[in-house]
Amino acid sequence: MKAVRLTVRQAVMEQRNFWRSPEYALFTFALPLFLLLLLGAANGGSYLPGHIRQIKVLVPSILAFGVIAAAYVNLGAKMAVLRHDGVLKRIRTTPLPAGAYLVGHIASTVATSLAIAGSMGVVGWLAFGTVPRLGGMFILASGLALGIVCFAALGLAVSSLIKSAESASPITNASYLPIAMISGIFDPTIGIPHWLSGAAGALPIKALAQVLEDAYTPAAHAFPAVDLAILLAWAVAGAALAAWRFRRQPALTAR
Amino acid sequence: MTSQLTAEIPAGDTAPDLAVHVRGLQMSYGDRSVLCGIDFEVRRGEVFCLLGPNGAGKTTTVEILEGFRARTGGTVTVLGLDPAAQPARLRERIGIVLQECGFPRQARVGELIDLWRDYYPHPRPLGDLLDVTGLTADRNSPVRRLSGGQRRRLDFALALAGDPDLVFLDEPTTGFDPEARRRLWTSVENLRDLGKTIVLTTHYLDEAERLADRVAILLDGRIKIAGSTREVARLAALPSRISFRMPNVLLSGAIPAPEGIDLTVRGHTATCQTRNTAVTLRALLDWAARYRVGDLDDLAVDTPSLEDAYLHHVERSDGDPGL
Repeated sequence: MKAVRLTVRQAVMEQRNFWRSPEYALFTFALPLFLLLLLGAANGGSYLPGHIRQIKVLVPSILAFGVIAAAYVNLGAKMAVLRHDGVLKRIRTTPLPAGAYLVGHIASTVATSLAIAGSMGVVGWLAFGTVPRLGGMFILASGLALGIVCFAALGLAVSSLIKSAESASPITNASYLPIAMISGIFDPTIGIPHWLSGAAGALPIKALAQVLEDAYTPAAHAFPAVDLAILLAWAVAGAALAAWRFRRQPALTAR
Repeated sequence: MTSQLTAEIPAGDTAPDLAVHVRGLQMSYGDRSVLCGIDFEVRRGEVFCLLGPNGAGKTTTVEILEGFRARTGGTVTVLGLDPAAQPARLRERIGIVLQECGFPRQARVGELIDLWRDYYPHPRPLGDLLDVTGLTADRNSPVRRLSGGQRRRLDFALALAGDPDLVFLDEPTTGFDPEARRRLWTSVENLRDLGKTIVLTTHYLDEAERLADRVAILLDGRIKIAGSTREVARLAALPSRISFRMPNVLLSGAIPAPEGIDLTVRGHTATCQTRNTAVTLRALLDWAARYRVGDLDDLAVDTPSLEDAYLHHVERSDGDPGL
């Protein structure tokens, strides 16, 4: 019970710390919203193959982008900074179970990700009249749940590979933005070679975008089991890498 | 060597007044030995100093005591617990002040200490922690706005959050200016006044001399000598030094040098070494009286210090091929 209470307290503290750097919090929320409004206004009205209005694909894909920014970049960069600042070292001197500490961080990240997803969903509705179809709610929920878990795990994994506090933000951002672009997150009509598009399809970014798109576009596809499986596979891989790296940590002081 | 990693040492087996009990502690990486079987004890309520040059194994020893490194041999008991067997339980009762340790960037002093308190079963009251470390005025300050000295005090506050019985300080003044060092020494003395047992590692002799009740000199993975600072100095069996300013009458050769006393002169200072301080001093004073030298200016008697003993051991160790 105490572990649970500590986890909750840690999560609350992390949320509070997130909102305390307003520029950072603003950036994490504002960028996806801004992109949605910009791209939605510019291209939303045009039609994609299959007579689908582009906005119906843009909203979910940029929503995916927002979730990735919160879960992957946020958590990944933050953990790398905490490690290189020596904060993790200090935590290890206390009786706080590593699990409680970590889950506290993850819980805060989940809350932030859901907040972004929520605000983007609302903007998609108010600005563009685009909402997920009723039958797609379950798909939306599973996509968000699995997507957040997957990208949080990947964020933790990448944080264990980052070498300094200063490089944390550049590396986390640079490691997913190009892939997001190639995956067609910002422009579903992007012309890229077939093999590249295929490769992107195996990556979790496109998988998440496709699951969420599925919830927004008119029905008549099968349940996106493959994409969800891809997310799950990457989640497991990320968690395994993170666990392996953190277990290999050198003893308290590295001189 | 067989390793004796005992999982459970019944509390009654260690004398209750011992905070730390170490016997035959070994630490090897493959065939490289960092600690070659060391023994020492730390009594409750004292400041114990592990002294040695860099690379001697001080930090390794302390990490083993804290439960962060698994030893390869010997027995270690800290507050009645084996750090290798029960590290989490041990951490509830110890405080560790680390070097180069940061704080969460957005934290505020009071709320950070309060969060830390929650990690422990029997924390000290928040107001008390702020008071003892002089941070009451900074309770709501963001951590990133603190000065170096305030950050250090916050390190102490966090280490004390759980009201530990034993506090570890690893090279606490490395890189500090003289002013900051003195302030930290005062903090350590305050900790002792609170009844804490303190284990301190350092390569600064003046620090050990000032703070330690008992000290152990660690060299090349072995403890050369241990005891109170006075004992250690005495055990090295080094002579005392008596020095005074050369009187002009002696310089000019107008009077003979004192008999039976081997005086070395450097610049204006005459020094002699003796194992019988009082006797030699008396002979000197008699000589001064006899030849009407008057008062011996800058007369000083230096009994062997910890530094002398330490350097003596280090020099011996350097010359010894077997070590």
